[in-house]
Amino acid sequence: MGSEFILFVSAAIFSIGAVGFVVRKNPLVMFMSVELMLNAVNFLLIGYSSFLKSLDGQIFALVIMTVAAAEVVVGLAIILTIFRTRHELDVDRINVLKG
Amino acid sequence: MMEFLDQLWSFSLDRETVYGLFQQSLVFVIGMTAVLASLGVVLCASPIYSALYLIGNMVCLALLFLLFNAEFLAVVQVVVYAGAVMILFLFIIALLGSKEEKRDLSFQNFMGLSFVGTLFCELLLAMTVGETQPVEGGVTPEVLAELGSAKAIGIELFSHHIVPFELASLLLLVAAVGIISLAKFTYKPLRKRTRT
Repeated sequence: MGSEFILFVSAAIFSIGAVGFVVRKNPLVMFMSVELMLNAVNFLLIGYSSFLKSLDGQIFALVIMTVAAAEVVVGLAIILTIFRTRHELDVDRINVLKG
Repeated sequence: MMEFLDQLWSFSLDRETVYGLFQQSLVFVIGMTAVLASLGVVLCASPIYSALYLIGNMVCLALLFLLFNAEFLAVVQVVVYAGAVMILFLFIIALLGSKEEKRDLSFQNFMGLSFVGTLFCELLLAMTVGETQPVEGGVTPEVLAELGSAKAIGIELFSHHIVPFELASLLLLVAAVGIISLAKFTYKPLRKRTRT
């Protein structure tokens, strides 16, 4: 089995994450879909790093994990602040940032 | 598939072939489980089930990292993602209350689905261009066994990639300051401010 299976799994998880980001209305689930997409990219990088016997892909995946952790923390804080001021969590109705 | 059966029925299986077949079947099963778990994230109506499916997906990906010789990143994946980030998600879900959302397939949703379907087909097309073969030779098995260990990653990180490492620490600092200022200085709505 060559690299085809890695590419297929990564593409499938990325597309499922993109579907979740587009279709779902709960911002928490949208964030989880973003995590799915980042994880798919991480998997591809690490699979190819194992194929090419190089460590650069793993370093890149480590940096992506750091960025994802920071992004999730800031995003959840923003969601919490919006919930405090507006008392609802539907992205279709959160269309202005002004409180 | 026929090749696999031939190999299985001819009783000349050496140790390397058996290990190779076993690893390939493990990669296949765990990869399919990861795809199914990610489907569960998107299809579950309640956010708490989505979070649990996402934890399953991340554990599957950590196992795949292990199979691809990246032990350190597998540990980081379990500790940082399945541990810290998902616990944070579960706290926020418990804090905000998880309400099931009702499903309706509107025109916008249909447009989004067709867009992502096109994206997926394009990715599959890119996949069929040509199969990449693993790099063979030039690397001794000892070096190969050390490839994903914490020591090798540390040496690589502090010798060649020192600038991205420092930038990542700066990014974490900025994120920490940002969430403290978001959580500490509570925002008063505009109407109340103009009234008083």
